[in-house]
Amino acid sequence: MKSRPVQLLIALVMAGALAGLLALFALALALLGDPGDAVTPLTAGRLALALLALLTLVTMLGVSLVWLERKQLGRMQGRVGPTRVGPFGLLQPIADAIKLVTKEDVSPGASSKAIFYAAPILVFVPSFVVWLTIPLSRDLVVRNLDLGVFFFIAVSVLGIVGLILAGWSSNSKYAILGGFRSAAQLVSYEIPLILGALSVVMLAGSMRFTDVVDAQASVPYIALAPLAFAVFFIAGLAEVGRTPFDIYFAESEVVGGPFVEYSGAHWAVFFLAEYVNTFVVAALGALLFLGGWTWPFGDLGQAAAVALFLGKTYLLAVVIFWVRATFPRLRIDQLMMVGWKALIPLGFVSVIAVAVQRFYEWPVWTLTLMSLAALGAAVAVQLRAQRSGAVATAKRYAQRAVAVEPSRRRERTQA
Amino acid sequence: MRTQAAYETVDMMLNMGPQHPATHGVFRMVLTVDGERVVDVTPHIGYLHRGSEKLAEHESYGQVVTLFDRLDYVSNLNNELIFCRAAERLMGVEPPERAQYIRTILAELNRLASHLLFIGTYAIDLGGMTPIMYGFRERERIQNLFESVTGARMMHNFIRIGGVKEDAPPGFAPRVRALLDDAERGVAEIDRLLTFNEVFLARTRGVGVIDAPSALSCGLTGPSLRASGVAYDVRKDYPYEVYPYLSYKVPVGENGDCWDRYYMRVLECYESVSMVRQCLDQMEDGPVMAQMRRIARPPKGEVYVHGENPRGDIGVFLVSDGTDKPYRVKVRPPSFCNLVALRPMMRGAYIADAVAILGSLDIVLGEVDR
Amino acid sequence: MTEQPPAGDQEQAAPRPAAHRGPPVEIAEETLSPSGERTAGALRLALRDMMVASGGRDDVPWARVDREHLARAASACASSPNLGMDMLHCLAAVDYEERIELNYVLFSLARGHKAMLKVDVPPDDARVDSLTGIWEAAGWHERETRDLFGVEFAGNPDLSPLLLYEGFEGHPGLRSFPLHDYEEW
Repeated sequence: MKSRPVQLLIALVMAGALAGLLALFALALALLGDPGDAVTPLTAGRLALALLALLTLVTMLGVSLVWLERKQLGRMQGRVGPTRVGPFGLLQPIADAIKLVTKEDVSPGASSKAIFYAAPILVFVPSFVVWLTIPLSRDLVVRNLDLGVFFFIAVSVLGIVGLILAGWSSNSKYAILGGFRSAAQLVSYEIPLILGALSVVMLAGSMRFTDVVDAQASVPYIALAPLAFAVFFIAGLAEVGRTPFDIYFAESEVVGGPFVEYSGAHWAVFFLAEYVNTFVVAALGALLFLGGWTWPFGDLGQAAAVALFLGKTYLLAVVIFWVRATFPRLRIDQLMMVGWKALIPLGFVSVIAVAVQRFYEWPVWTLTLMSLAALGAAVAVQLRAQRSGAVATAKRYAQRAVAVEPSRRRERTQA
Repeated sequence: MRTQAAYETVDMMLNMGPQHPATHGVFRMVLTVDGERVVDVTPHIGYLHRGSEKLAEHESYGQVVTLFDRLDYVSNLNNELIFCRAAERLMGVEPPERAQYIRTILAELNRLASHLLFIGTYAIDLGGMTPIMYGFRERERIQNLFESVTGARMMHNFIRIGGVKEDAPPGFAPRVRALLDDAERGVAEIDRLLTFNEVFLARTRGVGVIDAPSALSCGLTGPSLRASGVAYDVRKDYPYEVYPYLSYKVPVGENGDCWDRYYMRVLECYESVSMVRQCLDQMEDGPVMAQMRRIARPPKGEVYVHGENPRGDIGVFLVSDGTDKPYRVKVRPPSFCNLVALRPMMRGAYIADAVAILGSLDIVLGEVDR
Repeated sequence: MTEQPPAGDQEQAAPRPAAHRGPPVEIAEETLSPSGERTAGALRLALRDMMVASGGRDDVPWARVDREHLARAASACASSPNLGMDMLHCLAAVDYEERIELNYVLFSLARGHKAMLKVDVPPDDARVDSLTGIWEAAGWHERETRDLFGVEFAGNPDLSPLLLYEGFEGHPGLRSFPLHDYEEW
C-alpha cells in the first residue's frame, strides 16, 4: 500500500501528463500548416505527427472516462471502485487495455473476416474524426469549420454503419439482433439530436462552435433553452448507447449485441469508441449548452479556459454515469416511442419556440418560460401516466395484504 | 400485426442459454422470434440434474439433509427445514420449542437473503446495475450471521431431524436485531431506488401477465401466485413451526404482472424482518434437540409435507420402509413448477420481456434440475 | 504466575444451556386430522365407485384408483363442487419393484383441501392417461416421471426428455438402476 503523499504525487504527475498532452496537441496544431500547402515529405510528416497527437489525446480522454465511470459507479453502489493499479486506481484502464490487447483474438469460423475486422475501425474512425472540429478552447481547435455542428452530425452518423456491419458479419443471431437494434435506435435518435442542436444554432446564428460558445459568454443556453438541452442530452445518451438506452448491446438480452463475437484488441476498439463517443456527447453538451470555456465573469486565460471546458464536460459525463447507476434499460418499442412520440415533438416545440422568440424579438426570458412550460407538461404527463398509477397500486396492496394474527397464544414458561 | 406481403418472412429460432447472462444458471430456452416478438418458447432444463432424489435413497436420513442444501442453493435452510419436518412427521417427533424458533428465524432470514438476491438480479436482468450491490451488501451480513450460527455460509447442514445441530451462539439475539435494522434500511433503500423507477415501471407493469385460474392450473406458487391475486401462503393456511405464534401480513397482488411479482417479494422482505423480531421477542432458553435415537429410523409409512420457500411451495413426499435410509424422496421444487407458467406468460412478448418474465419467476436451477 | 485463560473462552462457555435434550413428544400415527376427515368424506363422495382403497395421514387423505379410471377420477376431483381441486401440486412416483405407484397430490386452494390420488401401474406395462387436459402443471411432472421411471402418459402432447438428455438409456429413478456402476463416458 502506497502512502497518501506518494499517491497524490503520482496523481499530480498524471495531471501533468494530461496537460503535457494538451500542450503537445497545441504544438501539433501549430505544425499542421494550411490546407493550401503543397504536399511534401515535410508537410506529410507534420500532418502525421499532428494526427498522432490528436489520436493520443482523444484516446486518453476516452480512457479517463472509463476510470471515472468505474470509480463513480463504485461510489454510488457502496463500493470503492478500482484502487489497486496506480493511485486511486487511475491506471486501471491502462491495465485493462494491456489485458485486452494481449488476449487471443478470436473470430467465429463462419464470419466474413474482412468486414468483421473492418467494423471496429469503422466505428472508431467517426468518433475520432469529429474531433477535427471540436474546440478545446477558442484557439485550440484543429479546424474551426464554419459548419462545425453540421460536420459533427454528418460524421457521427457514420458509426452506425460499423455497428451494423459488426452485427451482420459476426454470423451470430445475437449480433444481428443487436445490429438491427442499433440501426433502428441510432437512426431514430439522430433526429432529436439534430433538433436540439438546431435550437442552439438558431439562437447563436452560427454553426461554428466558437461562435456558439462566444454567444453564451453572458448566459449559457441551458438557461435559455432547457427544453432543447433535455432533448439533446437524452438523444445523446441514446446516440452513444448509454443506459437506459443501451439496448443494442444489452448484456442480459443480446449479450453484447454487435460486439458479442469480438474479443481482445478488436473488442477494445469498440469499447474505446463507446467512451470516446460518450466524451464527445458530453463535450458537445458543454459547448452548446453550458457555455464551453466561457463563464459570465470575464475572460479567462488559455489554460483556465481549457480546464473550465473539460470540467463542464466531465460534469456532464458524471450525469451520464449517474443516470446509468439509477435506471434500468428500456425496451425496444419503448425506446422508439420515447424517440418518435416524445423527443421529436419536443424537439420541434423547442425549435418553434426559438423561432417565435427570434422572429418577434421577445425578451430571452420568454424563451426560458416557453421551454420550461413544455418540459414541465411532458414530465407531468409522463408521471401521471405511469408513476402515480403504480404508487396507487402499491398503496392498495399494502392495504389489501392479508393480516395473519397468531392462531395460538404462546404461554411463557419463564419469568 | 403480420401482413401478407409479396415477400415471405420466416420466424427465427433464438437459443437463449444454457450459457446466457440472464438465464440464472444453466436454463435454456429456445425462442421462436418474429423480429423482436416472441412467438413461442420451448424451455429446456436438466443441465444441472444430479439425481438428488436417487442419491437420497442411498443415504441415511441425516445425510439427506446435505442433499437438500444443494437443491435451492439460495435458500438452503428452508430446504433443510422441509426435509427435517417430513422425517420428523414420519417418526412422530416434535422438536423442542427453542429449536423451532431458531429454525423459523433462520428460515425467515434466509428468505430475506433470497429475496434480496432476487431483487438485485432482477434489476440486472432489466439493466439496472445498482440494486444488486445494495442487495448483496445486506445479504452478506445475513450470510455472516449464518456462518456464526451454523459454521458455513451456504451449505449449512444445521437443521437436523428433531431440532437443530446446536444452540445459537452467545450474543445471537442482539446481533440479529442489529442486522435486521440494517437489512430493513437496505431493503427500503432498494425499494426507493427501484420500485417506482419510471423505466422499471415501463419494463414490468403489464408484462408477463398471468391470471389466477391459469396460474393455479400451471401450479404456480409462492409470491408469483400471490401476485395473481390468490391469497395462498403455506405459513398462513397450514402454519408450521412457530408461525402460529406470529402475526404478519401476506401481501397479495391483483394484476399478476412482473411488477406485482417483484413487489410481492419486496413487501415480504419487510414481513420477514418483522417475523424474526417477533421470534426473538418470544424465544426462550431450552433444549434444541428432541429426545430421539441418534440414527433416525422412521417406521414404515409415507408422508407429504409442504412448506413456504422463498420461491413458492416446496413439497416433500417421503416414503420409509423402516430402515435408516429413505425408500423414496420426491421433492416438489417450486422453481420447477413455476417454470411451467413461462410459456403462457411469454407468448407475444418482446425478447427483452422474455428476460424480464424469466427473471420475475426467480428460478434456481439447482432446484429445477435436482 | 498463573496464566489467565483468554477472555473469549470464558464468554463462550458461560451461556450455553446444559440440557440439550427435551422431552419426547408423542404424535398419533397414520390418522387423519379433522380437516383431513372432511376432505376424505368429500373425496369418497366424488370418487364413489372408482375408489379401491383409501387412507391418509394428517390432513392429506389418499384414495387409490385403478389406472383406467385415473383421468375420470382426476376430473371428478377437479370438478366436484365440494372438492374443487384446482392445483396439481405434485406427482410423485414410487418404484415398489412389483408395481410403480403414482401419487398425484392435489390441492384445493379455494376450499382448503389436500388429497392424494394413488395409481398403481405394472413396470412392464407402465402406461397411464395424461392429466394435462385438467391441469397444465401435469405436463412437466409427467415428462419428469417418464424420464426417471419410464411411465408413459397417453395424451401428453410433449413427452420429450426433460431432466435427462435425448438418447439417455434407462430410467434412473427405478430401484433397479445402479447408483454407482453407472458410467456416462
